[in-house]
Amino acid sequence: MRAQLLSGLGAAIAVAGCIPVQIQAPDEPIEINLNVNIRQEVIVRLERDAEELLQQNQDLF
Amino acid sequence: MTMTRSLALLSAAALVAGAIAFTAPSWAQAQDNALSAARAAGQVGEQADGYLGFVPGATISADLRGRVEQNNIRRRALYTQRATQRNASVNEMAAAVACEVFQGRIANGERYRNEAGQWRQRTASSPVEVPSFCTE
Repeated sequence: MRAQLLSGLGAAIAVAGCIPVQIQAPDEPIEINLNVNIRQEVIVRLERDAEELLQQNQDLF
Repeated sequence: MTMTRSLALLSAAALVAGAIAFTAPSWAQAQDNALSAARAAGQVGEQADGYLGFVPGATISADLRGRVEQNNIRRRALYTQRATQRNASVNEMAAAVACEVFQGRIANGERYRNEAGQWRQRTASSPVEVPSFCTE
């Protein structure tokens, strides 16, 4: 009984593994997470990158 | 004769190239006027998480909603790319950009969403509340 159940489960997993995965384009709205928990030292490390990113993409900001 | 002629041609070509190089960035980096207008009108604003958000109570057209969402998708792609290069998380990179934005790119009269998630308006008497994780 238990062995049957287990083999059934195994078969289900095997079948699930064969389902083709479709990759979708990210066209859904972004979920905004305002739960910001950022360490200052990380910001210091990324400061120059942030400046550069802004300057190179002025159309977005 | 041929020498002066080719020289003249060369300098003309250089002039044209210079003109193209000079004008290219202005159209390549054209700002979305509809988004700028919506920011000025207080319908959308910058958020402390590095993305644009909709100000509560504002009427947002489908067109504007689409522009904001597209803008945020492009921002996130940039944040992701940089974060990967610097071994940082996407949220960290986004926050670093938010610091730059909050420290100099929110105009008088514009609305923004502070670190605590509250919407504020920058006015002459109330400067932008820069997130606590930002440095001077």
